[in-house]
This record gives sequence, structure tokens and C-alpha cells, in this order.
Amino acid sequence: MIKVKGLNHSYKKDGKYAVNNVNFEVAEGEIFGFLGPSGAGKSTTQNIMTGLLQLQEGEVTVAGYDVKHIKNEMFNQIGMSFEQSNVYSKMTAKENLDFYRKLFDVETREPQDLLDLVGLGDKGNIRAGEFSKGMKHRLTFARSMINNPTLWFLDEPTTGLDPSIAADIKDIIRRENKKGVTVFLTTHNMYIADELCDRVAFIVDGDIKLIDSPKNLKLQYGEQLVEVEYIKDGDVVKESFSTIKTEDKNQLKDIIDKYEIQTMHTKEATLEEIFIKVTGRGLK
Amino acid sequence: MKLWYSYLKELKLSSKGFYFYMEILMTVIILVLLLFVIPEEMDNKHDEYIMFDMPVQAEEYYVNIIKENDIDGKSEIIEIEIEDKVINVELYVTEESKLHIFDNEEDLIAATEADRPSIGAKITWDKANSNYKYDYYLQGYESEKLRNLYTIIHVKDLEALVAKGDSYEVKVLKTGHERLNTKQNAVPALITFNGSLMGLFIIAAYIFLDKQEGVIKAYAVTASHVWEYLLSKALTLMTVTTITTFIIIVPVMGTQPTYWAMLILLLTSAFFSSAIGLVISSFFDNMTQSFGAIYGVMILFMLPAIEYFIPSWNPLWIKFIPIYYLIQGFKETIMVNGDMTYVMLSSAGFLLMGIIFFLYANHRFKKNLAV
Repeated sequence: MIKVKGLNHSYKKDGKYAVNNVNFEVAEGEIFGFLGPSGAGKSTTQNIMTGLLQLQEGEVTVAGYDVKHIKNEMFNQIGMSFEQSNVYSKMTAKENLDFYRKLFDVETREPQDLLDLVGLGDKGNIRAGEFSKGMKHRLTFARSMINNPTLWFLDEPTTGLDPSIAADIKDIIRRENKKGVTVFLTTHNMYIADELCDRVAFIVDGDIKLIDSPKNLKLQYGEQLVEVEYIKDGDVVKESFSTIKTEDKNQLKDIIDKYEIQTMHTKEATLEEIFIKVTGRGLK
Repeated sequence: MKLWYSYLKELKLSSKGFYFYMEILMTVIILVLLLFVIPEEMDNKHDEYIMFDMPVQAEEYYVNIIKENDIDGKSEIIEIEIEDKVINVELYVTEESKLHIFDNEEDLIAATEADRPSIGAKITWDKANSNYKYDYYLQGYESEKLRNLYTIIHVKDLEALVAKGDSYEVKVLKTGHERLNTKQNAVPALITFNGSLMGLFIIAAYIFLDKQEGVIKAYAVTASHVWEYLLSKALTLMTVTTITTFIIIVPVMGTQPTYWAMLILLLTSAFFSSAIGLVISSFFDNMTQSFGAIYGVMILFMLPAIEYFIPSWNPLWIKFIPIYYLIQGFKETIMVNGDMTYVMLSSAGFLLMGIIFFLYANHRFKKNLAV
């Protein structure tokens, strides 16, 4: 669905690249996570793929269209939800969706259905300018589905949403993906990437450091740990032990034999911990 | 169809916006000025200060000629205060000017200097050469052409006059059409200001509002073209300009203007100024950043309006500013028997320049959508 080969982009064309020799492919029906801290090159790559930035160097194919010679009909197949909400504040939620559906040449979804889907069903006749930040974000998200996209670009889709709404949004993404929609998810939130993505790419300073599935990454880089809380000399002590190292295993056995255990559970390495391990950088 | 939907959306948005009401307010102000403040005819008699230094018989000859042209055929003595000194002068009022006759040169110069737009003249009988000598006292800012005119106006040698005259451009100032009165004459410059200049400013404001809301990016990832987005803005401005201009023109001019020609000129010139507004807004992110550029262009475009009201100031370079032809074109459309060829040629020029600027704006917007 997406093919990116040898992508370079310099904003000032001064040899300093915002993205540097980026290569990846996204298969049809996949949820692909693009993970990196702010300024890593995530938005630049996404903007080039969606035609918002002109392709300077490299080959980019999106939904079968060469981005070098972008054709408007490509946008009938793609949907884009922006990180910053961008709706007409002087128009109502419904008017916003009504207007955008007229800009596509394919069958579009009913604005009211989309508003219901994102929990704004009863807010259709309210001006978007009167919406909270989270409501505007949901409206932007709803708009990205108006043309039934087969390729869906999502830029931080749960940012600024309360946990229950964020969970609803994640459910919508899963449901759309099950229908066959390919999702390109740009985020610095490792939890959403971990929950949703089939594969993730780690990008730092314009370079892709690795691409793999979250499961494989955890197997490869993660270390299974057991966290134990026990009572020792009247105090609560908390310690972590590796389930692989013999020394740790013996220590854990000793503690179980000698002390009163309060809590004990296994803990996997998070995607963020793996990201830090691989790139030496945090995601924030 | 996408352009049509975008246009309808823009109309709806503009009717809900601050700038639309600003344009309406400007229209109302101009209409009130034209209907209630600017008179049909202004007293445009200019003051001339004259002194005769010649034998009594010769002076009487001159005064008799002036008297013949005086409205009531007689003079009146009036008092003029110059630098705390009150002097009596003889005043003759003709159809075109007010002639003040002075007794001495010092008072003549002082009076001319105190009354900035006026001209002083001392007419002397030159005994040695047996002819009259004319000394003109000008304010100093008069155009070269006017000064040259004073230099040759009394040349008696016909051949010399013809020789000098050949070096001047002769412009037909009056043809078959009726003269516009003061109020009508103010209309072309005012509607140019209301339409084109306000349009340039307002379209830039609309774009910056969209940039602030990020909706241009959202539009760019639809199956619609950026040019449709830009053209819908320009069409909205063309519509608003046409409506507000007719709100001014109809009550002031009635049925006199050639409306079809005016409509063509309005649409093409509004398209031109919108395209310039689009080009400017493609270089900046917000109104504050673009203030210098927008006001620079607006001031440049206002210069032909100043020239229009001061005919003696007519530098050649002003004709390179397109608004010059817009004002003249509007003038032709409101005149009886106006020159419609001029209007159509001007409209074609505005359309062509508008297309060039529009294509450039489209190129720039496509290139910088994510910035």
C-alpha cells in the first residue's frame, strides 16, 4: 500500500536532512506505527506521502500512486486525521462534514453516522468553534473517514482525549482495520502503538533505526522480570528479578522461602523501554 | 462542482466573519460621503494675485478687459490680512477665477505666499523694448509642464511658439461626453479604494484565518485542487466587491453608468487584486507578518488616486501602476458616451495580470501547504 525508498528531505535545501535515506513498506491491511520523538521526521515523512510537502529525493508510492506526480484522485482513497484539529470554527460539526464530503469523487459516509461514531451525535448543529479541544479532535478524526479511505493516515489520534474516548477511538481504528483499511499511525505514544500496530518503525533524527512487530521487539530486546513486594524486618521491600539469570532466580527463591510475600507479578519491557534501549533517546 | 461548493462555503463563512462587516461599513461610509458630504459642485475658482506696473491708460485697458469678464461687471474692495498687516485690494470675480489687484509688489508676493495654491503675476510695461513683461510668482511645486506653459504663453513669435509647441504632448481633455460634477468625479477613486484595495486586504485576511485554523491542509488532502480553493476565495471577493460597488453606484449615479462594462471591469479588477492578495499571503503565516507588504502595495495602489485628484501632478511612472487604468476605466463607465474600448482593454489587462498572479499564487501554495 505504501512504498518509500531512499527518501531524503531538507527544508532549507542546505544538506541538513529532516529525513535521511528512509526506506520502508506498508502492506495492505496492516496497521503500521511510525514512532519517534518530536522533530524526528515523522510528520515530514507523512506530509510527503500525503502531498503536503513536495518530494525532493527518493521514490514514494502511496495507494499505487507515484507521489512525485501526485494525482488528485489518489485522495479519494486516503483519509488523513491531523494532530492539530483543523475544522472550520464558524461552521457547525455537520456543516463541516457536509462540505468535505462534496470534495471527493467516491461514495461518502453520512455525516450523522460519523458524528454518532465519535460520540458527537447530539452536537451536529453546534459550531465547531464552541467545541472543546477533544471534541474538535474527534471531529477531525471523523472527517478523515468521510470518503471511506482504504489507506488511513492518523497523526496522534488519541492526543488530548480522555481515556474512555481514547478507547473508543482505538476501537474504531481496529474495526476499520478489520474491514481491510490500511493504517499509517504516527505517534510518540508507545501504548497506543503497542496496542494497535502490527509493525512499528522507530525513527530518530530522520533515520529509521528499526522496523519490526512489537511482539518480536519485546522478544528480542525485552527482558522478562518479576516484581516482588515482601516484608523484611517489618518494612515493605520492593525488588525486581530477571527470570532468565540464574543468580536472580535463586535470589527470588530465597525470598519466597524466607519472607512474607505481599505482591508478585511478571513485567514485560514496554515499547518505550525498547525504544530507549535501541535509539538511546526517549520518546517525549 | 467542487469549485461551486467551495464558493458557497466561502460565501457562508465570509458572511459570518468580521471582515465582511468591515467591507459593508466602508461601503456605507463611502455612500454617506457621496450622498451627504461631497457637494454636486465645489467652488473651484482659484485665486490669482495681479499687480500692474504700467502707464495709467495701459492699466485701464487691462482692467476693462477684466471687468468685461466679471460676473456682475464691477469690482469690490476687500481687506486681506497678511502677516498682521491689513491691506485693501480690488477684487474681480469671473467664471473661473478670483482676481485680486495689488498696488505694490511686496504685498503681491506676501499674499501669494500666504495662499499656497494661488499664483501671482506682475505685469510691467517695458519701455526699452516697447512690450509687456510678465513676472509670475509660483509656489515652487508646480509641474515642469505648467512652468513651461507660463514661459511660452506670451511668446509673440508664432513660429517660435509652434516650434516650442511641437515638443509638447497634446492631450484631448474634452471630447463628446458630458463633464462629471464634483460628486460624480469622486466616484471612480472611491470605488477603486472600496473594491480593489479593500479586496486585496480582505482576501489576505481570509487566507491567514484559514492558515491559523489549518483548514488549507485539510482541503489539500481531498480530491479537490488547491486552485479551486484559491479561486473560491477570489470569487467570493469578486461577488462582495460587485455588490458593495453597486450599493454605492446605483444611488449616486442612477441610470447614467454603462453597467455591463462596469461589471466586467469590476470582476476583472477584483480578480486581479485578489490574486495579488493571494500571492502576498503565500509568503507569510499571519496578518502581523504581512502588514508591511500589504500596506506597501496598498499605498502604491493609492498613488494613482492621488494623481487623479491633482491633475497637475502627472508623472509618467504613475501610468505603470495598474490602478491608474482602473480609475480611468471606472470614470469612462460612469460618463455619458464613455470610451468602452478603453474599459474593455483595461479589463483584458486586469484579467491577464490576474491570471499570471493567480497561477503564481497557486504554485506557491502547492509548494508550501505543510509549512
